[in-house]
Amino acid sequence: MHDRQTGCAGLVPVQRLRPGDHAFVGYGVGESRWQVLTAYVWLGLARHEKVMVLADPDVPQREVLTRLDAYGPQASAARARGQLVLSSMREVIRPDRAFTVDRQTARLQEEIARARREGYTGLRTFIDMRWVPDMDADVAGVVHRETHVEHLFHGRAYTEVCAYDRGWFAPEVVEAMHDAHPRRLHDYLGVLLSIPDEDAVRFAGDADLTTLDQFRTALTEGLAQTADRGHMLLDLTHLHFLGVHCAFDLLRQVQLATDHKRIEIRCSVLHAGILRKLGAASVPRLTLSEVRVGC
Amino acid sequence: MLNFSEESVERADETLLEQSFTADCLALLRALVESAAAKEGLDGSRLGEFVLAVDEIACNAVEHAGGGGRLVLRRLDGALECLITDTGPGFTPELPRTPPELDSTGGRGLWLAHLLTDRLTITTGTTGAAVTLRMYLP
Repeated sequence: MHDRQTGCAGLVPVQRLRPGDHAFVGYGVGESRWQVLTAYVWLGLARHEKVMVLADPDVPQREVLTRLDAYGPQASAARARGQLVLSSMREVIRPDRAFTVDRQTARLQEEIARARREGYTGLRTFIDMRWVPDMDADVAGVVHRETHVEHLFHGRAYTEVCAYDRGWFAPEVVEAMHDAHPRRLHDYLGVLLSIPDEDAVRFAGDADLTTLDQFRTALTEGLAQTADRGHMLLDLTHLHFLGVHCAFDLLRQVQLATDHKRIEIRCSVLHAGILRKLGAASVPRLTLSEVRVGC
Repeated sequence: MLNFSEESVERADETLLEQSFTADCLALLRALVESAAAKEGLDGSRLGEFVLAVDEIACNAVEHAGGGGRLVLRRLDGALECLITDTGPGFTPELPRTPPELDSTGGRGLWLAHLLTDRLTITTGTTGAAVTLRMYLP
C-alpha cells in the first residue's frame, strides 16, 4: 500500500475536507458517487457554506434532486433559501459556449464573492467532470486547469471536489488527476486502510462493523510480526471513525498479546476516551497517547 | 415498526434526517448524522460520541434485526433525539449497569451508547424494537 494512501499524503475521508481544499474523487458504477456527493453537500450545508452541484450532464436534474432529497427535508429547504444550487458547466460559463480556464475561474470567483455577500462562509462546489465530453473540451486543457487554479483557494473561501468517472476517462488521465489534486477522497464512504510498517500498523478511514474483519486481520498480523521486537505502535490518528466492535477487538487482542512488553496506541482525544471507557486502563502493557488530529 | 411517543410528536421541532438503512449505508448514515448534529451546534467529543452511539444502535439492528432499520433524527426542545426502529424479534430492554469485561460477548455497545448519550430509552415488542437516544445541545 502506497504511503500516499494515508491521510498524511492527501487522502482523506470526505468529512475531513476543510474549507480551501481542492480534492479529487474517482467513481465507477454503483451508489458510491451519490453517497460521496450527499455527504459532501450535507457537510457544506452544516458549515453554512453555499453549495453548488455541477452534476453529470447525462443524469437528469430530477434524478439528482431525488437523490439529494432522499434523506429528509434539509436539502430541499437549502435549495429554497438559495444555499444549495444545482448548476452545470454550461451554465457557469454562459454566455460563452466554449470552455476556457480564464472564463471558468473568473465565473467561479464571481460565485465565491456572491456567496460571501449572501452571508455564507464560502462556496463549495462538486464538479462531475463528465462535463468534459459533454462540452467536447480538450482533456489536456482540463488537466492544465487542475494544476493552475491555486488562487481560487486562497483565503479558504472556496472548496472544490472534482469527480472523475473511471469508466469514461482514460486510466492515465485519472491517475494524473489523482496526483494533480492536493487532496484525494476515498472513492466511497466507509473505507478502511491499514498500512503495516516495521514496528507499527497505521489505520486510516473508518473502522466499523463492515470493516471489522479487515481491521481484525490487520491487527492480528501486525501483532504477530512485531512479537519478536516486543513493542508495537498502533497509529489511529488518521482513523475518522472507530466503532465499538473494532475498539473492543483492539483491546482484546492487545490484552492477549503477551509477547509484547509495550504497545502504544496513538489516537485522537475522542478515540482515547472511548478506549478508556471500554477498559483500556485494565490492559497491561498498553499506553494511550492522545494527539491533536490533523492531516 | 414502532413510532415516536405521543409526547415526542407533540413537541417535535424539526426533522433533520429520515433514512432506512442496511449495512451498505452505515457510513453515509454516520456522515449525515454528523453533519446534521454539527449544524445544530453539537461539537467536539460530544459530537463524536453521539455519532458513535447512533452507529452502535444501528449496527444492532443490522446484526440482530433482519439486516437494517430506520432512523429519524429530530431537534426537540434544545436537544437532538434520534429514534432507531427495527422489525426484529426485540430484545430485553435492560441496560447493563457495569462496564462489560473484555472477554464478554455482548451488551457492550448498548452499555456504551447509554453512557455516551444524555438519555437512552428502549421500547420493545413483538413487532420490533425502538431505541431513542437524546443529546442536549449546548
